[in-house]
Amino acid sequence: MEPPVVTLTECSKRFGDRLALRKATLTIAAGETIVLLGPNGAGKSTLLRLVAGLLRPTAGSAQIAGVDATSAPRSLRAGIAYAGHRSQLYRGLTARENLELHARLQGQRDLDITALLNHVGLGDRADEYIDGFSRGMLQRLALARATAHQPALLLLDEPASGLDADGRLLLDATLRAGLGTRTQLVASHDDGLPARLGARAVHLNAGSLA
Amino acid sequence: MIPAALAIARVKFVLELRRREVIFAMLLFIAATIVIVHFALSGDTGAGSRAAAGMLWAAVVFTAVLGLLRTFAAEQEEGALDALLLAPIDRAAIWIGAALAQFGFLVVVEVVAVPVWWVLFFQAGGPSIGTVVVALLLANIGIALVGTLAAALALGARTRDVLLPVLVLPLVIPIVLAGVTATYGAFGEEVGGLRPLGFLALYDLVFVALAWGTSEHLLGD
Repeated sequence: MEPPVVTLTECSKRFGDRLALRKATLTIAAGETIVLLGPNGAGKSTLLRLVAGLLRPTAGSAQIAGVDATSAPRSLRAGIAYAGHRSQLYRGLTARENLELHARLQGQRDLDITALLNHVGLGDRADEYIDGFSRGMLQRLALARATAHQPALLLLDEPASGLDADGRLLLDATLRAGLGTRTQLVASHDDGLPARLGARAVHLNAGSLA
Repeated sequence: MIPAALAIARVKFVLELRRREVIFAMLLFIAATIVIVHFALSGDTGAGSRAAAGMLWAAVVFTAVLGLLRTFAAEQEEGALDALLLAPIDRAAIWIGAALAQFGFLVVVEVVAVPVWWVLFFQAGGPSIGTVVVALLLANIGIALVGTLAAALALGARTRDVLLPVLVLPLVIPIVLAGVTATYGAFGEEVGGLRPLGFLALYDLVFVALAWGTSEHLLGD
């Protein structure tokens, strides 16, 4: 599938009286990795959710591959992965069951879930309910879920939060593996991440792109 | 779309089997309602049967609302709804999966509650149980469809626990009226043959079509 290109044009998002994103214009080329930097409340999560099509812009447009992100067809959604502040998993299911559900919904019948869980360091916790998982373990599982279907567009919102040193290495390796081959947009507080990845840094402050 | 809907419904059943959050509360509510009304009506042999028929339907609807309040609770805990919305599935599958689960919960509750209702109110002969069962099944479909749609509408609202009954109850009044009429018919009263059951089936079809066409937008932003 042709990797999607993200285009935000004068994109604004308002929640009640608060303008979370102000006329953001941003283009992400196919295969490009961008690290979105900014303080808490800068609008990073809002921007990511707009790109994912989970929010509708109040003004302007958010497009993926030339299509309005909120009405992206199934074929396009198959190539998008988004991991936000929450794990997007079911607490009452085990790690394995969560990935099985994801694979079923993605139409991946041959996904090697055991290998995937081993890769993110959760192989020995595969059959435990994620209710008892730490924040870092949930992040690892969320990363496994987001990358399981080899998305062409990977959107990660502060993926390093809660991760231990090994987890951060895993995250860096995952992002490095995607350099040049998939489009990646990562919101982060880690100022050193763009340099480590050789990625473009984009700064967001009070809802405005610098 | 059907495999995705079944996968979502299966998850909801598995979660309910493990957590017992919804069905237990529904059972407690409907059993308490039936027992309380039984004691309230004891001694009134005239209007008792008709009142019992109406009471069953009121109890079913309010019990259903109790379950509907938890429709997307599991998806909201860790944001799983985002993952479902981004999955390459027809978004109607999310709604159908949730509705299937609600339908199943109602059936489980009624399998326990209807025999209790029957034993308490109709020891000396009651309505045709076949008609009542068919009416309940058709009503369950309608309540699950409409209720899940309303739950999706109320999802983003801070006051969704209040908003959901406000949205659902007016929409299910036709179901209650048809259900009560069908139950009177099951007593042998002349209510127009199969007309109430036909109405329930038509109601289900209309809301399948309506919800199918709107779920893409309802479950979005």
